[in-house]
Amino acid sequence: MVNKKHISITINGEVKEAEVEPRMLLAHFLRDQAGLTGTHIGCDTTNCGACTVIMDGKAVKSCTILAVQANGRKVLTIEGLSKGREKLHPVQQSFVDKHGLQCGYCTSGMILTSYWLLKNKKNVTEEEIREAISGNLCRCTGYDNIIDSVKDASKKMEEEGDPIEEQPEIKVRA
Amino acid sequence: MVELSEKLVKGEGRFVDDIQMPGMLYLGFARSQYARARILRISGAQLTHKEVNFDIAEVGEGATEGGSELLKHPVLAKDYAGYVGQPVAAVYSDDRYVAEDLIDSVDIEYEPMKAIVDPEDSISREEMYPGVKSNAIVDRYFGDDFTPDSTDIVIERKMVNRRIATNPIEPRGVVAAYDGNKLTVWVSTQSAHAIKEGLSEALKMEPDRIRVVQVDTGGAFGLKGGLFPEYVVACYLAMKEKRPVKWIETRREHLLASRPGRGAVAKLKLFAKKDGTITGLKGEVIVDNGAFTGGSGEFSPIFIVKQLAGAYHLPNAYVRALSVLTNKAPQGPYRGAGRPEAMYFIERLMDGLADKLKMDPVELRLRNAATETYTSPLGFQVEKSRPFLESAIRELNYEKYKGKENVGFALLILYHATFGGESARIKVEDGKVRVWTGGNAHGQRHDVFIKTLLNEELGVSEDHVEVMKGDTDMLAEGVGAWGSRSSMVLSSAVIVAARKIREQIEKKQGKYTVQALLAGKWDHYEYFNYDRMESSLGANLVTADVDDYGRVKVKDCLSYYDLGRVLDPDNARGQNAGGAVQGIGQVLSEELSFDEDGLPLITSISDAGVLSADLVPRFDIKFHKSESPLPSKAKGVGEAPTIGVPIALSRAIELATGKTILETPIKPEYLLPVEKE
Amino acid sequence: MNPPTFEYFAPTGIDEVIDILAKYPGEAKILAGGQSILPLLKSRISSIPYLVSLSEIKGMSYVVEGKDGVKIGSMTIDSDLENSDLIEKRFPILHDATKQLADPLVRNVGTIGGNLSHADPANDLPAVMISLGARFTIRGKKGSREVEARDFFMDTFTTALEPDEILTEVYIPFWGRNSGGAYVKFKKNTWNFSVAAVAVQLELDGNTCKKAQIATTAVSPKSGRVESAEKHLVGKPLTDDVIKKAAEEVAASAEPVTDSYGSEEYKREILKRITREAIKKAISRAGGN
Repeated sequence: MVNKKHISITINGEVKEAEVEPRMLLAHFLRDQAGLTGTHIGCDTTNCGACTVIMDGKAVKSCTILAVQANGRKVLTIEGLSKGREKLHPVQQSFVDKHGLQCGYCTSGMILTSYWLLKNKKNVTEEEIREAISGNLCRCTGYDNIIDSVKDASKKMEEEGDPIEEQPEIKVRA
Repeated sequence: MVELSEKLVKGEGRFVDDIQMPGMLYLGFARSQYARARILRISGAQLTHKEVNFDIAEVGEGATEGGSELLKHPVLAKDYAGYVGQPVAAVYSDDRYVAEDLIDSVDIEYEPMKAIVDPEDSISREEMYPGVKSNAIVDRYFGDDFTPDSTDIVIERKMVNRRIATNPIEPRGVVAAYDGNKLTVWVSTQSAHAIKEGLSEALKMEPDRIRVVQVDTGGAFGLKGGLFPEYVVACYLAMKEKRPVKWIETRREHLLASRPGRGAVAKLKLFAKKDGTITGLKGEVIVDNGAFTGGSGEFSPIFIVKQLAGAYHLPNAYVRALSVLTNKAPQGPYRGAGRPEAMYFIERLMDGLADKLKMDPVELRLRNAATETYTSPLGFQVEKSRPFLESAIRELNYEKYKGKENVGFALLILYHATFGGESARIKVEDGKVRVWTGGNAHGQRHDVFIKTLLNEELGVSEDHVEVMKGDTDMLAEGVGAWGSRSSMVLSSAVIVAARKIREQIEKKQGKYTVQALLAGKWDHYEYFNYDRMESSLGANLVTADVDDYGRVKVKDCLSYYDLGRVLDPDNARGQNAGGAVQGIGQVLSEELSFDEDGLPLITSISDAGVLSADLVPRFDIKFHKSESPLPSKAKGVGEAPTIGVPIALSRAIELATGKTILETPIKPEYLLPVEKE
Repeated sequence: MNPPTFEYFAPTGIDEVIDILAKYPGEAKILAGGQSILPLLKSRISSIPYLVSLSEIKGMSYVVEGKDGVKIGSMTIDSDLENSDLIEKRFPILHDATKQLADPLVRNVGTIGGNLSHADPANDLPAVMISLGARFTIRGKKGSREVEARDFFMDTFTTALEPDEILTEVYIPFWGRNSGGAYVKFKKNTWNFSVAAVAVQLELDGNTCKKAQIATTAVSPKSGRVESAEKHLVGKPLTDDVIKKAAEEVAASAEPVTDSYGSEEYKREILKRITREAIKKAISRAGGN
């Protein structure tokens, strides 16, 4: 048997320590060990982006990162976006308001990639949104409503700010 | 209205792989490496056919001809493997990674045989199974033979819609648990009842010992309507070990061994007078069934052929419907399921005829659009389409594009799977109105229109209503969510059930009030029977450009569909855009291709051609509102864009390149323009 | 689709990395971003007994401008290159490549060192580095050495790295004032690998080509210079005819294979056209016309 490794990952502001097999994917660690099942697995080949999380401020595909590689890092999952607050995060709210989802399976990844985009760019254009989410596949919406959601979120983030910034333990670097 | 959305944007959906239970086993499958082979020996497996000796029962309307027990899909292969990816043996562990290791330790010895890959070759090849009369599992003629007028113009075309994987972003998956008497199955599905019936038949178990519960379903597109071999093995193992068992499909398994759609070839001749009036249709349609029954190959060629009149007046027709055995996974329904194929074939013939007559294709369609509702010689009722087409030309602004852009136009008729009706149950308790339906949503958001309808019928506000997922213990019978049927029969079942609840209250209390509804305990189960197949009309207009490298840029993609009463315009727009992207994908890139030995060439969702946001345009839809005769007055929409968009886009590309487009997807190589020196 | 077992090391210094590589020659592999290796492991196409992760080593991610060129740490992620103003200004060819690499999320993890050391002929950065004349710093048991990019790629998935060696830094020399380059990539859909791609880096003297370095992606077993095509350009005024001849030579000397993306002939034709496009773009960036 291969030795397990000790890891410590800050997930949504909370430090999670565990002994894991080195081969365990970050996506499975989040889902099966941290109980955060909002991170989904869709394609296995780093294409679909259903498993997207924010690691040290960047949107990444957690099915193609080992949990041990995330040791010592900060991970934000979909559950962390509105954690500890009654209101949805502006990006989540925009996806609700603008019908940016149908079956909801790609949604966590779409929202987190959009959040990462909006942390880096103001007044995003439709072209920038399409490019930013080109690594996230949706089979239901045809993308129109997702793009409208991101545009709406861009406005909301400018007006309301990013509530995560007010929570130092979760705060995300752009 | 936003309850489900709020849950999903927080990552609080409950999909099948989210289920965790103590003692759960993870199931894995060793699959055939060969398209066609005898299996000589299996070692290192925990479950094989010797122990798990079940078949997937035949489904579909068409009677299988030349039938044989060997055509039934065994849940684990017997001594023969019929396609790459067919489950041969199973392994399990309490760790999903270890289960995968165990798959690698299964050793299967094969004796490979020459695979049958091309559906057009299948009939002339040796029989796939000893004892079958022919490799055609369906071979029937529709219409009556006729002699075309010798002065008629003939347009003859071979057209192909190659196989496509359904590719919902959530793959297939199941969790099964057994308490010593009752089997409970949680599954990502379009129909909990279809799964229950299938399991009962396959496992030869009394139906009341099986409960199937739908969990949040991450897209389905036809795939998740039926039972699969892996589910049966999971249930068997749960009963054997008395432990919960989970099986989650990998994307590679999906591409190899789920039931892909399309896969049809048409060789057709369309006859017409010199003025463009069509006089008849002859030829054949061949469906690439795959190696076993249990998919939709027994049904789809018949369904395709019956629709081949399109929305036109077709006086004569004689068409052969064939479904042939090939060494591939069984063909299954994919969004549209026979409708896109049929309309593609007739509409591409119409465009070809227009070119031959040097006539505007839309003008030709106007000339032939049915002026009265009639029954086509191929069997289906064709509704009066001329007035709709006239308004579609106006609404889609065809004249603005004509001659200036590479513009394609499609006229379609969408046959809704309304037959069989649907069930609904409304149960009121503790101030909460709960609704179950036989059709199980997988991204269509039935909850939205159900709440609207209950508000209309019962005056109850949406926060008192909870739309439940499919659960066979809560609902006696049910059909399923497919075939653009839910806005018609499911909604109608809900309406009728609501009216019956109202009657109950009126009977008991003299007068209906919302207060009485919410204060009391009420329960009504309604099976809304419906034996007709309804239809609706639609049109699409697509423009496209093709660059110096043969790359297609889709510009405008417009829909004009008859939705009757539009129950939920936002979702109708979403359904349109999503279906349109699938339609574009079918033309530009989506395909499951095989080499000459039947080995699949596609191993990832991106190589399967699913389109990302940077490759598609904006979409627009206009509604035509001619109410249906059903209580909901609505008409279906889900499949319309997958029917119309491929047709119109193919035509636009034809105009952009001057090349005839008769196959989907188009090989990029074919579109590469020759350079002028 | 999960990896088979392996032993995992995450040392904090490069010397330790080298020690582990030397201890398990041929069996230990470096895990940088993992965007190539992990998909291979997950599909169980290959198994690797010992993985040495660079994730705990600090100071391997940088883009620094020197007097004669730019130094890039091998753990620099693709998106940092993509967003680097320095790279965009001095090496637009590399900017072209990084912004088209896989997708934005993969670029947030994938590294320049991983992309190069994997030596997949379908990877974009080898051709770019070859055309730029980059030099790689390699460290191993015997110390440090430098290898020209053009000598680094030996074959498909094979580099000049010895089993105990690691690529630590990429150095790209500045080109002359009138220089410019372009990377043109042709792929079917966003996430597909290239049908063909080409990197062209030029230096001009007026309208005459002083220096040209061309390399290709996805059309040969390994990325390498196409000197036979460069010869068509060097010393000549870059007329349409000269450009056409060079592009034809790039296409003729490639070794594409027929696959699901298209036939050999198709790939050659695409390569010819993108090469013309890349040369023209490079000329314009070099201040020519």
